[in-house]
Amino acid sequence: MTQLIRQGLNGSKPQQRMWRVHDMKDSYDVVIIGGGAHGLAAAYYLAKHHGITNVAVLEKRYIGHGGSGRNTTIIRSNYLTPEGVLFYDESVKLYQELSQDLNFNVMFSQRGHLTLAHTDSAVRTMRWRAEVNQLQGVDSRLVYPDELAKICPQLDLSDHPRYPIMGALFHPPGGIIRHDAVVWGYARGADERGVHIHQMTEVTGIDVQQGKVAGVQTDRGYIKTGVVLNATAGWCTLIADMAGVRLPITTHPLQACVSEPLKPFLDVVIVSGSLHVYVSQSDRGELVMGASVDPYQSYSMDSTLDFMEGLSGHVLELLPMLSKVKILRQWAGVCDMTPDYSPVMGLTPVEGFLVDVGWGTWGFKASPVSGKRMAEMIATNKTPDLIAPFRLSRFYEDALVGEKGAASVGH
Amino acid sequence: MAVNTPLTATSGRIAETPSQTINRREVVKFTFNGNQYTAYEGDTIASALAAAGVDVFSRSFKYHRPRGLMCATGNCPNCLVQIGDEPNVRACVTPVESQMKVEPQNVFPSLGADLMSMTQMIGRFLPAGFYYKTFIHPRQMWPVYERMLRTAAGLGKVDEESHPGYFDKIYKHADVTIVGGGPAGLKAAQTAAKIGARVLLLEEQPALGGHLRQSTELINGQPAYEYAAALAAEVSQLANVDVMTNTGAFGRYDHNWLGASSGNRLVKVRTGALVVATGAYEIPPLFENNDLPGVMLGSAVSRLIHLWGVRPGKYAVVVSANRRGLQTALDMVKAGVHVSALAEMRAEPDADLIDQLRAHNVEIFTGWTVAEAQGSSHINGVTLRNLTTGATRNFYCDLLVLSTAFLPANGLIYQAGGRFTWSDTLNEFVPAALPDDVFAAGEVSATHTLAEIEREGELAGLQAALAAGLGSEQDRQRADTLAVEVEQHREARQAWSAYGLIQADAKKDFVCFCEDVTRKDVRSTLEEGYDSMELLKRYSTVSMGPCQGKMCNMTAMHVCAHYTGKGIAETGTTTSRPPVTPLSFGALGGRIMEPVRHTPMHEWHVAHGAKVMNAGLWKRPLHYGHPTQEVHAVREHVGLIDVSTLGKLHLHGKDVPALLERMYTNRWQKLNVGQVRYGVMVNEEGIITDDGVTARLSDDFYYMTTTSEGAAAVYEYIEWWLQSGWNFDVHVLNATDLRAAMNLAGPQSCQVLQKITQGVDLSNEAFPYMGAREGTIAGVPALFMRIGFTGELSYEVHVPSGYGLRVWEALIEAGAEFGISPFGVEAQRVLRLEKGHVIVGQDTDGLTNPFEANMDWVVKLDKDNFLGKPSLMMANKAGAQKLLVGFEMPDGTLPEEANQIVRPGSGPIGLEIIGRITSVRRSPTLNKVIGLCWLPTSMSAPGTTFTVRVKGELKTGKVVPLPFYDADGAKLRL
Amino acid sequence: MILLTCPNCGARNVSEFRYGGETNKRPDVNTATPHDWAEYLYMRRNPNGMIREWWYHRAGCGSWFIAERHTKTHDIIATYLWSPEAAK
Repeated sequence: MTQLIRQGLNGSKPQQRMWRVHDMKDSYDVVIIGGGAHGLAAAYYLAKHHGITNVAVLEKRYIGHGGSGRNTTIIRSNYLTPEGVLFYDESVKLYQELSQDLNFNVMFSQRGHLTLAHTDSAVRTMRWRAEVNQLQGVDSRLVYPDELAKICPQLDLSDHPRYPIMGALFHPPGGIIRHDAVVWGYARGADERGVHIHQMTEVTGIDVQQGKVAGVQTDRGYIKTGVVLNATAGWCTLIADMAGVRLPITTHPLQACVSEPLKPFLDVVIVSGSLHVYVSQSDRGELVMGASVDPYQSYSMDSTLDFMEGLSGHVLELLPMLSKVKILRQWAGVCDMTPDYSPVMGLTPVEGFLVDVGWGTWGFKASPVSGKRMAEMIATNKTPDLIAPFRLSRFYEDALVGEKGAASVGH
Repeated sequence: MAVNTPLTATSGRIAETPSQTINRREVVKFTFNGNQYTAYEGDTIASALAAAGVDVFSRSFKYHRPRGLMCATGNCPNCLVQIGDEPNVRACVTPVESQMKVEPQNVFPSLGADLMSMTQMIGRFLPAGFYYKTFIHPRQMWPVYERMLRTAAGLGKVDEESHPGYFDKIYKHADVTIVGGGPAGLKAAQTAAKIGARVLLLEEQPALGGHLRQSTELINGQPAYEYAAALAAEVSQLANVDVMTNTGAFGRYDHNWLGASSGNRLVKVRTGALVVATGAYEIPPLFENNDLPGVMLGSAVSRLIHLWGVRPGKYAVVVSANRRGLQTALDMVKAGVHVSALAEMRAEPDADLIDQLRAHNVEIFTGWTVAEAQGSSHINGVTLRNLTTGATRNFYCDLLVLSTAFLPANGLIYQAGGRFTWSDTLNEFVPAALPDDVFAAGEVSATHTLAEIEREGELAGLQAALAAGLGSEQDRQRADTLAVEVEQHREARQAWSAYGLIQADAKKDFVCFCEDVTRKDVRSTLEEGYDSMELLKRYSTVSMGPCQGKMCNMTAMHVCAHYTGKGIAETGTTTSRPPVTPLSFGALGGRIMEPVRHTPMHEWHVAHGAKVMNAGLWKRPLHYGHPTQEVHAVREHVGLIDVSTLGKLHLHGKDVPALLERMYTNRWQKLNVGQVRYGVMVNEEGIITDDGVTARLSDDFYYMTTTSEGAAAVYEYIEWWLQSGWNFDVHVLNATDLRAAMNLAGPQSCQVLQKITQGVDLSNEAFPYMGAREGTIAGVPALFMRIGFTGELSYEVHVPSGYGLRVWEALIEAGAEFGISPFGVEAQRVLRLEKGHVIVGQDTDGLTNPFEANMDWVVKLDKDNFLGKPSLMMANKAGAQKLLVGFEMPDGTLPEEANQIVRPGSGPIGLEIIGRITSVRRSPTLNKVIGLCWLPTSMSAPGTTFTVRVKGELKTGKVVPLPFYDADGAKLRL
Repeated sequence: MILLTCPNCGARNVSEFRYGGETNKRPDVNTATPHDWAEYLYMRRNPNGMIREWWYHRAGCGSWFIAERHTKTHDIIATYLWSPEAAK
């Protein structure tokens, strides 16, 4: 509030920059590739928790240009595996304090999250998630249509839809957030502690000598460093290729769209696994919507008409009163999809080259915990227990962490 | 301030002229803001209201400032209204309909007196992005603050009772599609059609003609609107030109796939080549109070006067930077508006028009622009400023007309991957590089004079048709010649756009009208480090409102370039995204047709009381009223279940056994004719993907069944292996829909079958368990397989699907004396559970291999080559860490599927998860709770007890051997 | 809507097809090391540029074929049925 008052009284005096522009040094202790929420959070926690400030964050375009600025802003921890739930729960807890920590309002709104079930097997999966959540101390429970009608009266709970709603996983701590604000808040926090954020700086090569990282080549010069963190999400295999590291990742577009601004209408976040659609209403009044990734590999961030058509049909099945509401804008980002829908975090066969990738469509909500734990890993040289399940080597150890949910096939 | 409410349609009208599109003989009544108004047929809501003297149409999003008509073209947010259950309607492009009830939006409490406008008083403390800097402490108050923000946000309202309307979709195919039916588009259509292209011409307005419709400028002695109408008529009559008006193209997608919106229709177009002739948006300049009602764009005034016969005001001042502005001023004078002054930004404006204006006593200021508008809820004065000396002049006015700049409507070109460069001479973006199959012509490519617009249109049509594969060598040469001409003319173009003033002390000079973002907001945003267009947009929200940058992008870039010291070229733009104009969920969803699959016996099930469930796309009976009785019937007498949904594949060829050896984990080389075998399929990770039985019916004909939901996937998977290098002599036919199937199960099943089967010896010796025979049933050719998912003597009968119902009914009739009961999916679940059979995807999941699922017996690791072999070898070597086992609940508790098995541990509530229940039922046959669950291998021995969490309470379960019922399998072999 | 040319049927909307992923050479199951096998199962090239991938004409002729496509622009360079030469 004082910031505002000061700004209001200052009138025409220039404002202070959120993050400064620095010349690029020729060496840093740690180079983080990727200026999204994950990379900036890692930089922030390196500085804040571990006093490691000789850090550069290299961002090809402007900070938050990638998934951090394109996602549909949903935060939750109602995952399926115990490892996943614990991990995302730590993230939610960090998000709860983040506005205060960063002194920047990230507008985290824990308004409740519903994952609708339209089949028997989906109900079973929701119960599975509810039970695992509760056993990890996370608030989720299975609800049926009578209670759903009270939580979200706008839902069509009749048997008119092709796949009527049979129940839902209700997760009260889930909600939405102002995604750009998380990027900006972390950037400022890192910057004020001495981290150098270099925007419009593209990495063109990674220098590996005898199996160890020696430096990073950029379009603005070479940086000597012994620690590189790959936090580039959809582009991560392009960076990993530079270091000679293979990743179990394919890049797919994920599309999203917003409606024109409307008076408050929808209080909770709605997700339907069967209909592959999610919708929430932002604090600006727009309905923010998304679906599942495009099936083919692509680095295109263009959106398609089929996406809007499919999404509209499904949204209308859930909320039939929206037929006259209009879609204002559609876009896409690129997602690094893994075989088990869990991330890839930690060491690689190249010493000093760490990854925080494999974030698919589940990355933004994990920004704080990933940043914190990757910073911890870099600073202590030990893999934190919380992220050990997500190691790259698990693909060679047949130890996948299955977050795709139970497959469903019936006779 | 109160809103004027004269009630007649005539008070603000000028005399009738041929360009007008209203029919003064047809009067339409409607209401706005609770007041009655009349309109003429052909009026838009806005033109009717303007004629009636209404000047405030809405309140702005943040400061609730009164807003009036500015563009009258559908590009700005000022006239957004609510009509019944439809929010955010653009009044200026929506035709009036009788009895329409139009309401303002986002007003508190009313349009005339909006208390929220008081926020302007603390405006300095509410700059762009203010919410990031406040509402942080105390944390607990955030939900309260947030509720306030949310209530203030948003424009129109959703009516929760709104019923889905009727919407539909149309497909179009064309060689050349032209978006925009103005002079450039019409010329393009002409030339493309002449070469023989199939042309589709899309025009978002109700009539062709573009900006010429609202112009009286003489073209070869003819008023522009007449010239345009004649050209339009000529083009419309061409046989190979398909014209769609009221159809706005909103998106260009991969490979020239276009989306367009036409009323309640979504139009989807695949076109060989695309011509974008969409014109340009006229945009307002920056100056203090540039958002006051009575401040209008020149094109708005032209449309009001020439299309709807509305006098836009009484005392006007005009600001111009191009010929069209001067023409508009002249039109205004002729329409009876008193134009006291005209500020012309160019040093050397068109002398012919200047002279005419002077002759009408308009005071001309050359080299001047507008600095400030005065007024509170309507403009009542304007300050003009000399661009060089800074001298000012004030004028009274109730109408300020701005014709100073254009932003090409190039969204579709950007979406197509086209690139633009900034021209400092023209002050507009010009196309630099377009894809091979996309062309631009006219004002969209910064060309504003008619002769050049038409020449570009002609060229674009020619080039587009050639790109689509039509035309001759002569046409190609003509295109090359014309291209040179066009280029020469483009180089000689003059600027039609100029910038507004950047005044450091201005407080309410709006860059973005949708979001109330001022120049000061932009400056402070840039200063804080959000100094690229993207960050500027996201922080200040400029261009994020309903207009999506149409009115503000150029100004925002200009201001950004100014304060960062970079040029516009380096500043760049934000990403142009579809839809160019918003369109409804309804139109995008269309008729929402979802496929449903029925078996041939579906109606029978429904007629006999089936509770129908979804099973993938299929409808299946869950039960017929009493699933427990159905279970008893099968165990004690006989039951019949419809399993037509099973996947069924015909496999022909000498290499089928080799194929089966590869696809399944077990052995298949020695399956004899007349034998059936159960098989499990895994993927290359060794994970179970499907199961089923395969029968050998002749030397080289095998019949494979799969799970219902796996049918398509198994077929595709087999085909992939066959088509990607396995040199197998195998032909596969997906016969899933060709055969109906039903399973007759129970001790008396053979007796039932006996009555209506011919050609098969049903004795136990001749037709043992796991045998397959062909014969006829009720006269219908059939395949019989003696298999046992339910654990009873049973026969699965497969017949051509056309005879499915007949055979079903025959079996029901034959079984009547034995007390036959149809049984559904629920009873089947119970029956198979009593036998300990696994359901793939329920008892197994995306990580389960056969060893864990207690199916070691089905994996033959010594086979040479089969899918998943290395993974299974490794899994076998490592040993299963967890196993699927049978259990009972000694205390009779009925758990739920997915309940977690736990033990004390370090988890947040002191419990660690070690397994889960995947299937559980109270068995009617055995009168106890039975189920399948996952446990660590160390706890898998029968007799081991475990703790399971049921509805929050800890209960005890006990591992027991499988199966629960008929351990020897004697029932199967009766 | 990508326009994909089925070698059998010609140019069709991509919605008629199912994606089959990158072409991926299957190691010899009897000589592959666990490392080789894991690479085959999980590691991918994921190029930003030309990709060789499988498509299945699900709503058409049922052919599986290989496409060479640019993963940024979606330009389809070639589509062809599998052959021993194509696999190299």
